[in-house]
Amino acid sequence: MDIIANHGELLLILAVVFGLFMAWGVGANDVANAMGTSVGSGAITIKQAIIIAIIFEFAGAILAGGEVTATIRKGILDASLFSDNPHLLVYGMLASLLAAGFWLLIASSLGWPVSTTHSIVGAIVGFGAVGVGVDAVAWNKVGNIAMSWIVSPIVAGTIAFMLFRSLQSLIIDTTKPFENAKKYVPYYMFLVGFVISLVTIFKGLKHVGLSFDAETSYYLAIGFGILVALIGTIIIRSIKLDPEENEDFYFTSMERVFSVLMIITAAAMAFAHGSNDVANAIGPLAAIYAVIDNDGIIGAKSALPVWVLLVGGGGIVFGLITYGHKVIATVGTGITQLTPSRGFAATLAAASTVVIASGTGLPVSTTQVLVGAVLGVGLARGMAALDTRVINKIFLSWIVTLPAGALMSIVFFFALKGAFSPL
Amino acid sequence: MAKSIIDGMFGKSPISPLQQHMTSAHSCIELLNDLMLAMKNHEWDTAELIRTNISKREQQADVLKKKLRLSLPSTFMMPFSRRDLLDLLLIQDSIANISKDVSGLMCNRQMTFPDEILDDVIELTKVCVKTSAKALKAINELDELLETAFGKRERKVVSNIIKQINSLESKSDTAQHTIRAKLFPLESSLPPIDVVFYYRAIEWLGELADSAQKVGSRLEILLAK
Repeated sequence: MDIIANHGELLLILAVVFGLFMAWGVGANDVANAMGTSVGSGAITIKQAIIIAIIFEFAGAILAGGEVTATIRKGILDASLFSDNPHLLVYGMLASLLAAGFWLLIASSLGWPVSTTHSIVGAIVGFGAVGVGVDAVAWNKVGNIAMSWIVSPIVAGTIAFMLFRSLQSLIIDTTKPFENAKKYVPYYMFLVGFVISLVTIFKGLKHVGLSFDAETSYYLAIGFGILVALIGTIIIRSIKLDPEENEDFYFTSMERVFSVLMIITAAAMAFAHGSNDVANAIGPLAAIYAVIDNDGIIGAKSALPVWVLLVGGGGIVFGLITYGHKVIATVGTGITQLTPSRGFAATLAAASTVVIASGTGLPVSTTQVLVGAVLGVGLARGMAALDTRVINKIFLSWIVTLPAGALMSIVFFFALKGAFSPL
Repeated sequence: MAKSIIDGMFGKSPISPLQQHMTSAHSCIELLNDLMLAMKNHEWDTAELIRTNISKREQQADVLKKKLRLSLPSTFMMPFSRRDLLDLLLIQDSIANISKDVSGLMCNRQMTFPDEILDDVIELTKVCVKTSAKALKAINELDELLETAFGKRERKVVSNIIKQINSLESKSDTAQHTIRAKLFPLESSLPPIDVVFYYRAIEWLGELADSAQKVGSRLEILLAK
């Protein structure tokens, strides 16, 4: 208890600094992957991608990140075991932040496929199991999270497959693809707005101080869906059929419709990414704050303060501005076979999956979900050539990142323990 | 900077290289029309020029073929089977190869067909070139096919082209038959070795139309998956 009382402020400042470091890493590296399909389809410019990312990553982290933050903060470890030693939880979470941040830095500079989600979960499980005891880990919950890593890309792939098939029969493979695109795409936009706002309203707005009953929530989500569809309709109204550009390739005008709507799907993707990856990056900070705020009493009710999410949102924007824009500029610009209709289907499927996972409190990897969605479009015969070696890379990322995050956090944990509470 | 996982999952599309190869193969067979004209007028210098031109274009097609083959790792997930695509490539390439063989045969032997069948041979060549042109048209639909994810409607468009290819090919069969029927009674009055090679040339021209038709049918298999 003494340590918390004596060093509480210092520990909290450290946590904020480490949390910012993590969020910075997400902004610098991970956002580029989330925006990859949008930029890659040539639908939005790099500058647009960065502006969209800044606004919607931030909004996603603050409005829909609460559940995932809560999972990281108190779902993975059995907090009751820390009642006598709350400072151990603080050290561990600090160590996890550092470990995940460093791992992200090392792995991405080496070009390895990494996921912030995996490194942070691996880190927390690592210090919990080794530093405190195997019983400290809520293995049930960890099992669920691990399952979600397998299930989420498959779900995204299935949604993308069905979404793309419906685009194919309603719009693309018809005699008037351009007209049908204008006619049907607003319904898809409604779907985006509805799903994302529903999950956000049900699960995310509590800590912002808003809560609605179920009926109002549905009405609000429908209203928001209609609003998004309306904005979409207004944007596409200005797109005109240009028979000349269609001479060479019959679908050029139709693709332009999807291209404009990609702005909205890219925003949804950034929102989803913010709600999941940013939130799990700052989960440990929330845990540390909860302990220190309650003077070391673990399990005391403490609401997730909005400023914690602000640190996450701010860090990611900082990462984007200082470094991320360079990465976005290199990711996705060389993907010639990703046409806007494909990018649209894949991004929409991925964004929906990630937001639903966020609402359920499951920390998933946005990048892997996106890969699953793209493969889903490929299975619907929508892609010319996808390299399935990427699936090996995902397995590699699971196998390498988890122990690496765990190992580093164990080292940092004992180092911090030694520094603050020498026996 | 290392490639991101998202970037890394997109391979290079084989469709436009395949189309380029077919364009290249067709440019070989196309010259046979000119070659026949030169032969008719006994302009052997022009014929020789056309022959070298065909041979150059055939080499070009070969380069494209090898390049495409090397850029198709077996880990690629494509909307068609890799095997079918490589088979299609091989058939396309045979159009270039046979065109080269025909031009070689005609130039080396300074072949002049007897007047009785000359116009029929020229006509047969034209039909073969037309068949190959249709095959090229079908192959050029591949990007539209991909865009519609091999949708029913677009497949119908291609099926129609393939029907046209088939009817052109049977036209070439009839033409071959007519030529052979006319050649048979002439055989005794012509140098036997020449006759052997007349038959050979006609056979090869028939094979060209066959190959073009095979491009169509292989494409159909590729679409069905």
